[in-house]
Amino acid sequence: MSENTKTYWRGIEELNNTPEFAAHANNEFADNPDFNLDGGNTYRRDFLKVMGFGIAAATLAACETPVRKAIPYLNKPEDIDPTIPNYYSSTYAEGGDYCSIIVKTREGRPIKIEGNKNSSISGGGLSARVGASVLSLYDKERYRSPKISGKNSTWEDIDTLIITKLQDFALAGKQLRIVTNTILSPSLYSALAGFVAKYPNTKVITYDANSASALLEANKLSFGTTVLPSYDFSKANIIVSLSCDFLGTWFAPVEHSNQYVKGRKLSNTKKQMSRHYQFESILSLTGSNADFRTSIKPSQEGIVVANLYNLLADKAGAPKIEVGELKDINNLSKAANDLWNAKGSSLVVSGSNDTNVQIIINSINTLLGNYGNTLSLGTPSYYKKGDDNTMNSFVDELVSGSISGVIFLNANPVYNHPMGAKIKNAISKLELSVSTADRPDETNVLCTYLTPDHHYLESWSDAEIKKGYFSLGQPTISPLFKTRQILDSILTWSGNTTDAYSYITNYWKNNIYSLQTTYQSFQSFWDNTLHDGVFELKNTNAELSFNFNIASVTESINSNYKAASQDIEYILYEKVGMGTGSQANNPWLQEFPEPVSKACWDNYASVSQKFAKEKDLSQGDIIKIDTKNGQTLNLPVLIQPGQASNTIAIAIGYGREVAGKAAIGVGKNVYPLVNTTDNKSKYFGVVSAITKTSENRTIAQTQTHHTLMGRPVVQESTLKEYLKNPEAGRYKPLIKTNQGDKKPEDITMWKTEGLETHNYKNHAWGLIVDLNSCTGCGSCVISCQAENNIPVVGRQEVINRREMHWIRIDRYYSSDADPEDKSLMGYRNMEDPSDNPKVIFQPVMCQHCNNAPCETVCPVLATTHSTEGLNQMTYNRCVGTRYCSNNCPFKVRRFNWFSYYTNTKFAEINPMMDDLGRMVLNPDVTVRARGVIEKCSMCVQRIQLGKLQAKLERRRPIDGEIETACSQSCPADALVFGDMNDPESRISKALADENKERAYHMLEEINVKPSVSYLTKIRNV
Amino acid sequence: MSTDNKHFILGVFDDEDVLMHAIPEVRNAGVRIHEVYSPYPIHGIDDLLSYKRSKLPKAAFMFGFLGLSCAVTMMVWMLGFDWPMNIGGKPNIPLTDFVPISFECTVLFSAFGMVGTFLIASNLFPWSNPVIFDKRITDDKFVIAVDMGKNKLSKNEISNLLKSKGATEVNEKEI
Amino acid sequence: MHISSHVRPPLITGGKTLHDITHDISSRVEDMPNKKWLAAFTVSALVLAYGLYCLYRTLWFGIGEWGLNKTVGWAWDITNFVWWIGIGHAGTLISAILMLFRQKWRTSINRAAEAMTIFAVICAASFILAHMGRPWLAYWPLPLPNAFGSLWVNFNSPLVWDVFAISTYFSVSCVFWYLGMIPDLATIRDRAVNPISRFIYGSLSFGWTGGAKDWSRYESVALILAGLSTPLVLSVHTIVSMDFATSVIPGWHTTIFPPYFVAGAIFSGFAMVLTLMIVTRAVYNLEDYITIEHIEYMNKVIILTGCIVGTAYITEFFIAWYSGVEYESYCFINRATGPYWWAYWSMMTCNVISPQLLWIKKIRRSIAATFVVSIIVNIGMWFERFVIIVSSLHRDYLPSSWAMFFPTYVDAGVYLNSFGLFFTLFFLFAKFLPVVNMAEVKAIVKSSSEKISSTQSSPSHVH
Repeated sequence: MSENTKTYWRGIEELNNTPEFAAHANNEFADNPDFNLDGGNTYRRDFLKVMGFGIAAATLAACETPVRKAIPYLNKPEDIDPTIPNYYSSTYAEGGDYCSIIVKTREGRPIKIEGNKNSSISGGGLSARVGASVLSLYDKERYRSPKISGKNSTWEDIDTLIITKLQDFALAGKQLRIVTNTILSPSLYSALAGFVAKYPNTKVITYDANSASALLEANKLSFGTTVLPSYDFSKANIIVSLSCDFLGTWFAPVEHSNQYVKGRKLSNTKKQMSRHYQFESILSLTGSNADFRTSIKPSQEGIVVANLYNLLADKAGAPKIEVGELKDINNLSKAANDLWNAKGSSLVVSGSNDTNVQIIINSINTLLGNYGNTLSLGTPSYYKKGDDNTMNSFVDELVSGSISGVIFLNANPVYNHPMGAKIKNAISKLELSVSTADRPDETNVLCTYLTPDHHYLESWSDAEIKKGYFSLGQPTISPLFKTRQILDSILTWSGNTTDAYSYITNYWKNNIYSLQTTYQSFQSFWDNTLHDGVFELKNTNAELSFNFNIASVTESINSNYKAASQDIEYILYEKVGMGTGSQANNPWLQEFPEPVSKACWDNYASVSQKFAKEKDLSQGDIIKIDTKNGQTLNLPVLIQPGQASNTIAIAIGYGREVAGKAAIGVGKNVYPLVNTTDNKSKYFGVVSAITKTSENRTIAQTQTHHTLMGRPVVQESTLKEYLKNPEAGRYKPLIKTNQGDKKPEDITMWKTEGLETHNYKNHAWGLIVDLNSCTGCGSCVISCQAENNIPVVGRQEVINRREMHWIRIDRYYSSDADPEDKSLMGYRNMEDPSDNPKVIFQPVMCQHCNNAPCETVCPVLATTHSTEGLNQMTYNRCVGTRYCSNNCPFKVRRFNWFSYYTNTKFAEINPMMDDLGRMVLNPDVTVRARGVIEKCSMCVQRIQLGKLQAKLERRRPIDGEIETACSQSCPADALVFGDMNDPESRISKALADENKERAYHMLEEINVKPSVSYLTKIRNV
Repeated sequence: MSTDNKHFILGVFDDEDVLMHAIPEVRNAGVRIHEVYSPYPIHGIDDLLSYKRSKLPKAAFMFGFLGLSCAVTMMVWMLGFDWPMNIGGKPNIPLTDFVPISFECTVLFSAFGMVGTFLIASNLFPWSNPVIFDKRITDDKFVIAVDMGKNKLSKNEISNLLKSKGATEVNEKEI
Repeated sequence: MHISSHVRPPLITGGKTLHDITHDISSRVEDMPNKKWLAAFTVSALVLAYGLYCLYRTLWFGIGEWGLNKTVGWAWDITNFVWWIGIGHAGTLISAILMLFRQKWRTSINRAAEAMTIFAVICAASFILAHMGRPWLAYWPLPLPNAFGSLWVNFNSPLVWDVFAISTYFSVSCVFWYLGMIPDLATIRDRAVNPISRFIYGSLSFGWTGGAKDWSRYESVALILAGLSTPLVLSVHTIVSMDFATSVIPGWHTTIFPPYFVAGAIFSGFAMVLTLMIVTRAVYNLEDYITIEHIEYMNKVIILTGCIVGTAYITEFFIAWYSGVEYESYCFINRATGPYWWAYWSMMTCNVISPQLLWIKKIRRSIAATFVVSIIVNIGMWFERFVIIVSSLHRDYLPSSWAMFFPTYVDAGVYLNSFGLFFTLFFLFAKFLPVVNMAEVKAIVKSSSEKISSTQSSPSHVH
């Protein structure tokens, strides 16, 4: 404050200087109001304290902070007032997941994460995990103070103890290790450097639960630099992905979706799109978006890659790799030809963690001259830095007892490292075991010293995602508990007295400020960067030259892979929602339906239809799986079309033992199934035996019928057809009448005696969903859940088909049956998906029909139409007859079967059930009572806010300033919201011109006139 | 006997047909019958006693019409004028949708109106205490009641007449 | 006066005199309840108790206690509602329509049938209440000025039509029933020995004297009420059917529903009346009043209506195919062959095939057989509603939302509850009110009871 020349009232509290304010005025972020939330369950009083604190925090975090430390994104400091949200830009970085975000706070409480459009990397999009991370802030499992062997302690005590230990180590030359997952923060790195300088017998070990170590090593070997390239899928006309789920679970899904979709969008002004080949074992999110998809067994990967290389080497006259030629892999040669024809504008990626495979990929991209165009080592990216070799040797050292102390920097290797069991046993023998994790996990329960970190929304942070691409994170709430961010801890332990905030500013002053010329003073540079959230120097270095003798990989490829193997193999994969399991105690993510399988609250053994038939398995049967590396586990079967036959896919990230009520007992932990070859984690292996047990476990799925049954609810076509006729694939129903065929909208009983249907004078809100852009990632689902206080209902209720999500993403598989055959058998056949189906995603929210069937039937007028074309739901008028829901052709209405926020049945899974969890609720949206219907409101609260803003400024709302939660968070920009009465709005333009031929309404034949339009899906086949 | 007391002679019959034969003859003999009582309705008896046809049907119709107009007015006013809103894009006054309720109200009003009128006309109320000339009327007897006050003939003449016309017994009752 | 053909077998057997009738019927009310009655009453009271527990769970925890889901928003609740309403219709039909047609045979059953109507409607209403998410707001569908300003109800909504139709139906039926009972209550009043029951039945009988003028008014009122009830009863099920017919859901949106539902109602109603009458006549030894003739007449009605619904089922299928509407035709294919095929085929067997047995005179005139058939028909009609509601909803437009409905024990309990309620009320009625309309029976006995019609009384018959 002292260096603050301007003096603002910090809101009303200072004006009439309340004791509460006075109390908090002087303790900034350093410490927190001392409300006793310890002992797990919090009481109403504590909650009130939190709230009381919340208000104070609003004045501090919002008023004071901006002036001295942070700049609110939208509002100027002086006009903070309750009920008006404040937006702060910040940074989410966890493992390979990076996102530049805008945090929406209300009364000092972060309540929603939104995308930051200033970032050229995440480009305003979110992933489900990023969106849900705000809930983890209010996780009641979080530690409320540092702990020494399980007992609460103070920072002073724990620091002294740790520091003495460290000094003893330094003197005795005992070995210390700091184990961490990928860190993006440059300042944390320099702090760690400082620490290592202080205690030279320290090594920092970085590993990743889902490792990209091989790619790093491959780049080291072939280009001499241990980094990841930065990819640009938007520039690639031909994309070939080998078991790489770059849209879902590979690193940087948001960035890659964003780029990928740029290349896929179509309109009257852009008539070409990229073509995407996928070769993979599981039906991944990426694979389900591919134009050509081939299922291969994991044991074939190496051979397939080598064959692809050979095909291209032929054309290029380059040396080939001596591997068996694969004939029966569909599309491989076609892909090769396309790649060759698109030299320089193609991209080949692989998700494999095998160095040699990645080397081949590198050389393929080199052959194709893609470096510098579609991928670049000139601007390396740092999403993953984990190195399996060092981690493995660390485990050996640990086991051998040559290490005396370990600091786990938010890492949880006991759970998420293949050798977790070994580590588990070793930790107890350590002299010094410290964990900074902010909530219980399998590792830190074994550690003596717990120094819990802040949640990222409570701490200052920075990140360098790619070379020259920086990002700043600021706290959006004062720390809820007596926690301390790791940067502070590291600094303290290394005897550095500066606090995290000044350390970061100093780092930026000395290292980053100098990189730019735009801003004259550091303060303005800092303030602006903080305001924008990101600082990007878009200058790249020269590309490096590929320098490796490709022939040398031959042997290992031939030894590690087989052209055709008869074994049953298992593949371990990440789920889009759960990831590596670090956010397992987040009920939003637990209930988030996996985009492809639509299953939640579980992991399971996915098998192909063929395999299920052979082994006579049906969905939900529990099978006992014995693996070659001696592991055994029982899992329910999920039948997954598109899965390679003779393979079993199991998701990592489940089976947490120490995590919190929502996570425990959900699924099985399969990290122990990860193999290690050539010192690299190998995420597949061989099953020695599967046996069908008598038990059965229903898998909770939000969609249980998977094919379209020949119905034109999704309308699609191919690029060829589209180029001939933009209306290709459109279905235009005609109704036979005595005056000949008529369009449905021309038939109505109300046209008589001048009774016209109502029209909207002011706004007419609408939404466009581009089926060609939607990748199905589901970030909209979480964003909607956060925005609209949607309850979590738990596994059993999902099985009962009562999930509450307002927006769902319907996923349909193609079927081999003839969609025209409407006979009995015809329909039977249509029910079975193809073995390798084409997949289509269709987000469905309330269609806001202008002739809404639901409105007509509600006896009490609880649902009526607004003057702006919205289908409104009046909760407090609803008596709960469910007639509207029955009469909704799209089945988007949700009923409150129970009182989700009071019924103890949901105590363990619904965040609304505890006081802390309630802090995430959006005050602008009612929490719905038992017995009422709810549904998508097109975020009417956001519309109202936008209109209010405009009104205050005496103007019309500008197109794009009002966005629904779903459209805001979409990384693919697949949802466009806007005013259809405004001819200049994006939506009007799209419907009137750019995409008018592709636009259609679902179920036109029943003429309900939805306000939501869909754009046909076009496949580049 | 005090003057305000009414004096009745009751001819009790066992059989409907006998009664039906007796009534006209008794009346032709110049006896003014007060009322005939029976355990069940006898068709045609009101002609013999020359009762006018009841106006209840007209009442029923009027009430029905009232119901209809109330219903239509209510719906048109509520949805059309008091609080018009956009319900599924329909016009504010969708007359076809008003048909069912209009019909129901018609029936409701006319049924209740008519029954009400009937109860009042016949003075049937839980609290009304009726003159019961003979407890067997509601069982199996038919009774012709003659009000002496309104007849010139003597008691004996009437009772003999009734007996001769088939009355199984003739009693007297004072009220 | 009475046009009585002696070709027809007598409707009242055992040569009953007027007094016998009075005695037979009234004594049920006057005597202490017999063992059979006590047993029956206790059973139904116990069922009611269990049902109330399940109802409590529903009301306390929410509809989530049932098996419904986001796709199937109605299942047993509305099935039961329509089923009970349908059953109720027979009562009004028997007393009103048969009265207009001067069908004498109705007289000895119409009282009980009307009572059945009223109790059935009460049961139906219990489901309207229970199926609401917030039953404590059940009065909101009434057009009352309210706390939210003058926010009225939606007169476009078939549910509001239902509210009017059913409340009208219920109240008019009550009036009709009670009016018919007044003379009989007077009979009981006049037979009453102890002052309390004399007072009670005295006030219940509204001071009825049996005067000719009253009788003539009474008759015209009864006639007009019958005239009103007839279209009313038809309208009620028509409107109930509109809950479905006016919707957009394939399998619901069908113009055939009104007649089809009405026929179904009569069908199930007559079956239920049979079931009840066969029980009552056994419990109360009313064989002379409820004769084989009655049973046979009703069986004939059942054959007729059974054939009508059968035709309706087939017509639906034909139209589904003929319309060429994708969703419609799939809906019906799915009904017959989808996951709920068993429900569809039990409906077909019970409603279309089993009544055909009644073409055989032997079966038609056998109490046991009739009893069985009547039960089967009621089961069938329950399945009809279940099929219409669930099999249409569970697979409607978007395959992504297709789901199955599995009932819970609470579903079953709430259904049982309505049985408990129904029979408890029915047995109370049978004990404390005259189950047969004495006055009307007396009016026909002359022409149709053996003894009296044989010895046509004459003026000479005087003592």
